[in-house]
Amino acid sequence: MKIAVCIKRTPDSESRFKIAASSTAIDEAGLKFDIDDFASYAVEVALQLNEKQGPGETVVVAVGPDVVQETLRKAMSMGADRAVQLKTDAVPYDGLAVATALAAELTGGGYDLVLFGKHAFDTSSGIVGTATAELLGLPCVTAASKLDIANGRGTARRELEGVAEVVEFPLPAAVTIDEGIARPRYPSLKNIMAAKKKPLEVKPAQLGPVRVSVKAMDLPPERPAGRIIGEGVAAVPELIRLLQTEAKVL
Amino acid sequence: MPNVLVFAETRANALRKIALEATSVARALADASGGGEVHAIVAGTPGVSSVAEQLGQYGADVVVVVEHAAFSNFDREAVSATIAARARSAAYRAVVLGFSAQGRDVGPRVAAKLDAPIAADVIEIRASGDAIIVKHPAYANKVIATLEVKGSPCVLSVRPSAFTPSPAPRAARVENMAPAADPGASRVTVKEMIEGGKGRIDLGEAPVIVSGGRGLKAPENFKLVEELAAAFGNAAVGATRAVTDDGWRPHSDQIGQTGRQVSPQLYVAVGISGAIQHLAGMRTSKTIVAINRDKEAPIFKVADYGVVGDALEIVPALTKAVREAKAGH
Amino acid sequence: MSASNGVFLVVLAVGAGFFALNVQRLVRYMRLGQPDPRTDHPLARIRNLLRIGIGQSKIFRDRVAGPMHATIFWGFMVLTAGTVEILIQGVFNGFSYALLLPRPIYAAYAFSQDVFALAVIAAVGFALYRRLVLHPRRLEGDQLEHTDALIILSMIGGLMVTLLFANACAYLVDPSTVGPEKVVSRALAAAIAPMSARPAAAAAAFWWMHALLILVFLNYLPYSKHLHVATSLINVYLSNTSGPGTIGAMRPMDLEAEVEQFGAADVEHLTWKNLLDGYSCTECGRCTAACPANITGKPLSPRKIVVNTRQRLMEKGPRVTGDRMELAHPRLAHGEDSGAGATTATEVAADRLLDAYITEDELWACTSCRACVQECPVSIDQLDIINQMRRYLVLSESRFPEEVQPAFESLERNGSPWAFSPADRAQWAEGLDIPTMAEALERGERPDILFWVGCMGSFDDRAKKITVAFARILKACGIDFAILGQEEHCHGDPARRMGNEYLYQMLAKDTIGTLDRYEVKTIVTSCPHCFHQIGNEFPQLGGHYEVIHHSTFIDRLLQEGRVPLRSAEGRALTVAYHDSCYLGRYNDVYDAPRETLRRALPVVNLVEPRRTKDRGLCCGAGGGRMFMEERTGKRINAERTEELLATGAETIAVACPFCMTMISDGVNAAHADVPVLDIAEVVAGELSPNARSTT
Repeated sequence: MKIAVCIKRTPDSESRFKIAASSTAIDEAGLKFDIDDFASYAVEVALQLNEKQGPGETVVVAVGPDVVQETLRKAMSMGADRAVQLKTDAVPYDGLAVATALAAELTGGGYDLVLFGKHAFDTSSGIVGTATAELLGLPCVTAASKLDIANGRGTARRELEGVAEVVEFPLPAAVTIDEGIARPRYPSLKNIMAAKKKPLEVKPAQLGPVRVSVKAMDLPPERPAGRIIGEGVAAVPELIRLLQTEAKVL
Repeated sequence: MPNVLVFAETRANALRKIALEATSVARALADASGGGEVHAIVAGTPGVSSVAEQLGQYGADVVVVVEHAAFSNFDREAVSATIAARARSAAYRAVVLGFSAQGRDVGPRVAAKLDAPIAADVIEIRASGDAIIVKHPAYANKVIATLEVKGSPCVLSVRPSAFTPSPAPRAARVENMAPAADPGASRVTVKEMIEGGKGRIDLGEAPVIVSGGRGLKAPENFKLVEELAAAFGNAAVGATRAVTDDGWRPHSDQIGQTGRQVSPQLYVAVGISGAIQHLAGMRTSKTIVAINRDKEAPIFKVADYGVVGDALEIVPALTKAVREAKAGH
Repeated sequence: MSASNGVFLVVLAVGAGFFALNVQRLVRYMRLGQPDPRTDHPLARIRNLLRIGIGQSKIFRDRVAGPMHATIFWGFMVLTAGTVEILIQGVFNGFSYALLLPRPIYAAYAFSQDVFALAVIAAVGFALYRRLVLHPRRLEGDQLEHTDALIILSMIGGLMVTLLFANACAYLVDPSTVGPEKVVSRALAAAIAPMSARPAAAAAAFWWMHALLILVFLNYLPYSKHLHVATSLINVYLSNTSGPGTIGAMRPMDLEAEVEQFGAADVEHLTWKNLLDGYSCTECGRCTAACPANITGKPLSPRKIVVNTRQRLMEKGPRVTGDRMELAHPRLAHGEDSGAGATTATEVAADRLLDAYITEDELWACTSCRACVQECPVSIDQLDIINQMRRYLVLSESRFPEEVQPAFESLERNGSPWAFSPADRAQWAEGLDIPTMAEALERGERPDILFWVGCMGSFDDRAKKITVAFARILKACGIDFAILGQEEHCHGDPARRMGNEYLYQMLAKDTIGTLDRYEVKTIVTSCPHCFHQIGNEFPQLGGHYEVIHHSTFIDRLLQEGRVPLRSAEGRALTVAYHDSCYLGRYNDVYDAPRETLRRALPVVNLVEPRRTKDRGLCCGAGGGRMFMEERTGKRINAERTEELLATGAETIAVACPFCMTMISDGVNAAHADVPVLDIAEVVAGELSPNARSTT
């Protein structure tokens, strides 16, 4: 199968963040960047599908400045065959603008499957995948936790709240990948070396109009220091109250 | 005075809580934009129109009912097409919906169809002239981003539980609308629905996780953890390495350095001391509750709310209290 | 020269020639391996040869088998002179060293031959008794090895018996040919005199039997585990396991090299020295008997690793070199798990040492404790083979236990094997007024010492207490030190131990860059893994620093009287100290921690567990096992904890945060009420009150 995987370069999810002086972005000093977690699951799914189904091609695409080439090489060291960088100075927060660029690149590419991560760690919005699919006119499953492809059709499982649905769809299609489906493989040194020689194409990104922009980035209000709120069964009512009013998780 | 369109999500023809939250948001936005109308659009099998009155309670002036036999299962393509068609049919300031599983499907599709800017997982909304300013948690809740959304209509999906539904009662007018796309032509079809019991919520998905450790003393006591999880309704059950090693729980339940790393909204650690390997798996949870008899246990350093005492006594009491609290929804 | 001399000459030529061909063959196989320069430090190597080889120092670690083997070995060395004499006699009748040596020296020589022959017979007798009656555990299991051993022992016995009988009969023929110094032969002659009708024929017969036995024995060597007789002394000379150079430093690796694969999956990827190790293994099993993984039921056996290497070489060698002197079915002769060998050429070509012989499970079970290397009497480096194969698994095939992947990824992203934010690294130091190197530099200061904290000490709640305790001691002694704070990240040792040389070199080089930027000269650390890595392995990548472990450092401070201790009388505290492998076997630090306890505690009773010091049992966390699941057999830490608790100690002392975790877990699991403390905590607890308040 010819599979395209759209990936994003994001900071490591364990990082502590500081706000940059501009106050409209995080301070990147000292941060480690890598393939976004969900995108790496998508890459792994693509590789496994092509391993299982016989010879195919896995192409990784990313929008961004040249530094994103590192991320594309990382995906190729996992096993992707070639990469495309849609070059732009900064990746807009506007998911539809990015989806427009991806759709422009992928259209007419003859892809059987286009995969995305369910969402990216930085924007945490889950827009790009489903929007790109819509722009390409492809059937799309969002947040698949299981994916099987056979005879030109796909079956996917997707978690709703407390219940799961199993859906079917024809190829070509787009799927955004949830976690738990596949563990991204760890590239061997051999593959890292090989990836350096795989083709990486650079093209200008044809972004859509940017209509969602960052006005400010702030750290969330300081979490109150943890505290022991009581002892024994007597503490339960207070706990419920706090979960409802303070933490707002109940 | 522009109107605001809201997609009110239903399941089995009953409104989900997120629908009411979204409707209240739409109401507030309409009011802030000069007092336009809120049009709520619902999709379901015949009979779903019965939710119109409840939507009216929360501020909907018009309820657009899209009924079709094929909508017993969620039809993402037809529903999205219909919402977009309705949005095109009049001048709406915004299309509001929930950032739920359905919302993640519908929102981006509608935005692409309308070529409308979209902001997702929003926790605050403010109208500001032509634009709408929203706040949304980025970087896995570590940063709050303030975004300016320019363009009309725009699509806004709201984070569940971030907004409180507030009554703004009126008599809603019902309009019927046929699906804008033939459900029969939908390419993504639902083959099967799997109920919670067998298709347990994956640890990575669950907004709430209740985890048990050695402090439970015996494998039989894990049912207390399961009952608490069931009381939450949308909770998964986790375990520490100590108890999975001893065979009390399957290895797939293990949370920690060598198990799953999770980041739920709420993590309840029952009888867990908080060894480094376990903390590595759950410390980014938004809210952490710890129940342990040892007040020096390291888990209390990371817990937002700690309760010192015997888990075997506290958990059943907590379960009962959670059930009561949830019964309100 | 007579006809019989001529015959013997032919026999000798054939025998020696056949042996020479085999030697050539074995050398050719050995040269299939990678280069491995061993010509350095000849004096140190000779010292090892004398001490370990000739002196049998490691052999004597077994109090029963030690003297037994030493007797046979020294006997053999002494009797070799006699063997040469006999072979020359075969060609030139009447030859004897008596013709060359002054009388007294010849007498001593002749006496030695006789006495050692008897001693060897006694030793062989005991050896057979031990094998056949006592059944020591480490010799159990392998039927082929057993048969091989019985053949060897019988031949050795036979050689001694035929020698003595030949002498005895020669005496009966002509007493002048057998001098009075040959007491045993003469006594034997007296005993058999009544029975011997034709002593001359008997003498000749025994002589021929002896000579033939020599040649048969010689030619049996290449097909037997007894090959070690020919290779062991050479192997000891060429080994690095007791130095020269840093003990326990992993083999350096050039990742820029244009190679097909990294690490070793088959014999030609190992070095010729690893293959020579294979030839030198006697299958004595001392390594396996000391292996914590094997003791607790894991599939790993260091002996098997080495024997499999030889086995595979014997299988592949002939196919590669094309010679035909190996047995058609090598598995008939060569040791452990020989059933695994391939028989057809296709199988041989498709197989490799990895998987077909040595499985992943075996390789990952290793804790790198070095007990196997410590025990081996012929200085084999089992760990080197394991490490090279781990490198292959990780670098070439990305095969490793899946729970290791998060550790690798976290090391790459966060600079620590656990998912903790690097920003939290110096949290333990809050409120303690400890400068970072960056802060000191800003003030224009250059601290004497860098306190390298390590990831455990920075993030693990229990280990943080050790860090704080040691910092307090340093402060109380007025030591001028600083920490790297958030600039510290893992030096990569866990990655290296687990075979990920690529990730290791990235982390190590970056660390060296930071250390050099601050012009660090002296480092003190409370973690033996950090200690070993920075002190012993960083030089491979150009990082040269003096590194001191905190036990040594504290001991020095105590010796110099610089530690303000409260003077208290206390009742005697019984403490069992658990030796850390990376402090002990890797770096020979056994006394400093013990001395620290003795000097710091008012009254202390140090008790030793059954396996202690260089025989100490590993806690189970080394070799990257801290990051892996233990799924088979008994937990290593449980085994060790049992032993420590059996001493009846009131407190267990450790000097390593990994040991701290493992032993504490073990004590908890055993529901025992014995505190486990780091020696720094013990000392900090003894600081005088006004010293404590200066932090």
